[in-house]
Amino acid sequence: MSALRTLLARVAGLFHRGRRDRELDEEFELHLAMQIEDNLRAGMTPAAARRDALLSAGGVESAKESYRDQRGLPWLEALGQDVRYSLRMIRKAPGFAAVVILTLALGIGANTAIFSVVHAALTPLAIPEPDRVVMVWTDNLTRDWHEFPASAADYVDWRASGVFSSLGAFDNIGVNVRAGDATVRVNGARVTAGFFGALATPAQAGRVLGDADMRPGHDQAVVISDRLWRSLFHADPAIVDASVVVDGAPRTVVGVLPPRFPRLGQEDLYVPMALTPAEAADRASRSLGVVGRLSPGLGFAAAQQRIARIAADQARQYPDDAGNTARLQRAGDAYVEDARALLALLFGAVGFVLLIACANIANLLLARGAARTREIAIRAALGGGRWRLVRQLLTENVVLAAIGGAVALAPAVWGLRFVAAAHVDELPNADLIGLDARVLVFNFALAVVTGVVFGAAPAWLAWKTDVNGALKATGVASGRAGWHQRFRSAFVVAELALTLVLLVGAGLMVQSFVRARAADPGYRSANVLTMDVALSARQYDSPDRQAAFFAQVLDRARELPGVVAASAVDELPTSDSLHGGGLFFPGRPDPRTVDIPIVLVNSVTSDYFKVMQIPLVRGRAFDRRDGKDAPRAVIIDRWTAERYWPGRNPVGQQVRLGRQQPPREIVGVVGALGQPVFVKLVKGRLGQAYLPIAQAPKPKMSLAFRVEGDPSSIVPAVRAAVRGVDVDQPIFKVQTMDEARAAGRASLRLATSLLGAFAVVALLLAAIGLYGLMTYNVGQRTREYGIRLSLGARPADVLGLAVRQALVLMTAGLAVGLAGALALTRVMSSLLYGIGATDPATFAGVTGVLAIVGLVAGGLPARRATRVDPAITLRAD
Amino acid sequence: MSPKASDVWQGTLALMVLRTLDTMGPLHGYGIARRIEQTSGDRLSVKYGTLYPALLKLEQQGFVASSWDVSDNNRRAKFYRLTRAGRKQLEKEAGEWQQTTAILARFLPDSGDHS
Repeated sequence: MSALRTLLARVAGLFHRGRRDRELDEEFELHLAMQIEDNLRAGMTPAAARRDALLSAGGVESAKESYRDQRGLPWLEALGQDVRYSLRMIRKAPGFAAVVILTLALGIGANTAIFSVVHAALTPLAIPEPDRVVMVWTDNLTRDWHEFPASAADYVDWRASGVFSSLGAFDNIGVNVRAGDATVRVNGARVTAGFFGALATPAQAGRVLGDADMRPGHDQAVVISDRLWRSLFHADPAIVDASVVVDGAPRTVVGVLPPRFPRLGQEDLYVPMALTPAEAADRASRSLGVVGRLSPGLGFAAAQQRIARIAADQARQYPDDAGNTARLQRAGDAYVEDARALLALLFGAVGFVLLIACANIANLLLARGAARTREIAIRAALGGGRWRLVRQLLTENVVLAAIGGAVALAPAVWGLRFVAAAHVDELPNADLIGLDARVLVFNFALAVVTGVVFGAAPAWLAWKTDVNGALKATGVASGRAGWHQRFRSAFVVAELALTLVLLVGAGLMVQSFVRARAADPGYRSANVLTMDVALSARQYDSPDRQAAFFAQVLDRARELPGVVAASAVDELPTSDSLHGGGLFFPGRPDPRTVDIPIVLVNSVTSDYFKVMQIPLVRGRAFDRRDGKDAPRAVIIDRWTAERYWPGRNPVGQQVRLGRQQPPREIVGVVGALGQPVFVKLVKGRLGQAYLPIAQAPKPKMSLAFRVEGDPSSIVPAVRAAVRGVDVDQPIFKVQTMDEARAAGRASLRLATSLLGAFAVVALLLAAIGLYGLMTYNVGQRTREYGIRLSLGARPADVLGLAVRQALVLMTAGLAVGLAGALALTRVMSSLLYGIGATDPATFAGVTGVLAIVGLVAGGLPARRATRVDPAITLRAD
Repeated sequence: MSPKASDVWQGTLALMVLRTLDTMGPLHGYGIARRIEQTSGDRLSVKYGTLYPALLKLEQQGFVASSWDVSDNNRRAKFYRLTRAGRKQLEKEAGEWQQTTAILARFLPDSGDHS
């Protein structure tokens, strides 16, 4: 109580200081006067009375000082003084302050932006006890499966295991939703009741799907995401229990999910998944994501063991499951998994940029510190405590950093908008990226830490200041200069090393990007327009009707001006949705399950190869002969042909695509496509087979048109053509083939542009740092050079002397940097395309670039040394 | 002066100030200093640098209150007086101090006799 009272009194003591000081003066004067009177009364002479009074009272000024200390909060007042003094110093050297603040603003701003992205990505899933929720994946070493989806039978077995209090299966589908007179394509998920049980999050309005919704005949209920509710239904609360048309059939919206409900795919609409007994026994096809909540009391490791045992049993029991293992992954980890490498790379890179900025500013401060040696020494000589001096220097730097941090908010906002707008699917919770309280706290804390970090070296030197030496010396000769030099050299070496690491990282990213762009995809993407059309399964219930729809649309499109060729394919080469099957050769014995080669299978219309300009190597393309009832035909790619019919002509041979499938005759061989997706998904590569659409129709097709001129110019006409056939079928994902290719590279592009920008900033800062140090050094040694020149040294000797130092610093920086780069670029290997993380050419190239920049930055000041006029320099000082 | 010695001094000075105000009634700073010096038999000298911060601290703690008034010889002076909390504090501290000296006296049996 008393302590609080004292504190309040002392805070009050911070105000009205003038009046309080006057009162104190008055009190002291009175004290003195009374003492003198008493002394006079005791018989002293006036002079002796006064002298005695002053002596016995003690030092008046120091008494006032300690009184003031007791009155207010001295540390706070000292801080205020320091801050005011710092601001005065900043005003006195505005250019210097501007350079420091801008450098810091860039460094801190970049860090704040990236922190915001990381912070958003690492936000825990908005579900109860997110740590108890896991995904179940299947791996198969012999078949190179990594994190494969489950079969329905797996799911049924796992659900019965008791490991999970709730286990759900889901797969992603696309649905057409009609709202008013527009029909839109929406990503959806078919889910079992256990899906919502595992996530255990209630709807914000209405209810989620339960067991009762899964019974055949009663599965008309759907649940929608908050996003869809807002975008399509204008956040209308009456949506619950309202009827909507999904794929042409009436459904009832029973609930709206909360805004932060984790969308494990990018789904916005959930429909019940009712497994028929036949489906539930299916072990061959794997398309289900599985998510579960661990049973109460069961730890993650124990659950993992039990699931592994079950998977081992399945692998022994069923040929389809041979070699399979099952693995649990926390749902939160699954969410950020794809982004992890990207986030680590970006955070590391901005951290480096800030460190380089710090090293640079520390160097600037040290250079300025040399000029302030005398000031500091004088203050120390006048009784300024060392702590007080150090604190004041630190305060100055923290003030600079705090201003930098505040200014940094501008580039930070710009940066995080840039990242959020890059539409990188792998970045989770992109909607949460922004300047929230935590990000601001981070920004501020970072600024303070930064100020302390770059202010530490000058402050340490102030601490070590030898007052006598500094006051006597002219500045150069004091022992401090040695420390200065050592600090500044170390900073430049560190800057060079960090810059080299960043440059290597950026170099690898740029090369990946260029290679990914330049990689021959096996088709010509220029002048091709694509769009997706998905027919509602109810309105187009038979394959014939689906095929007829697409045939009609393509016929109309061919008539459009500008359209050179029109075609359709079930999945574009850029799609990451894969359809594959085993490749069987009639007449050869069937191999063991794990050895069956897998080929990707696509359904195409006859002009697909013409539109995409995929060359026909042998045989023929599809045409009218390949109708529904004609002999079954297949076209394979050149890679498959060479792999399974080496040196022979496969045209005319028979294959089956799946154990139970009828045999098909190979009618042609076309060029192989690049398979960038598989580089990640499965090691090695897969063959490709194409089926004529009439023999393998699909309800969802991507239309592809080769166009004369700008492909997007025909979009309205094609839309009209599709609407002309059926107004109810939505067109979505309208993009040129070039855009489709670029979209797949969004994260590569983001990483490349950010890392490139960071590296350029780093290079600039490092060059400035080296230049500054060399200029300073040459300046310090001007006198020495003058003497040498006047004693007959040639300018070249002096130049060599000056350059040697730059070379030593550079060699040290490059060596440390190369070692660091070798150790660190490994984290980015998953982001690279077509290039190793330790690519020697890249390492050599960027080292060369940095060496040249360093030589220029270090050599320019050195040249100045040769122009020294001995007559002038010797007279200086 | 080492900080420890100063703390002890400050602590005892506060007690002396409270005691002085208790017996003498409201006093100005000089009067307090004088009185303490007299009571100590001039073995203590009280300087501004310790007295006034101590008074301020007591005031901040709420043990004394101050007001400007006119002194005996018609000067404007700041008078300090004991508050109720100050009187309680005085009783408490005096008790503690007596206990401490009593204990110490057992360790140093002669200390009282010679000085």
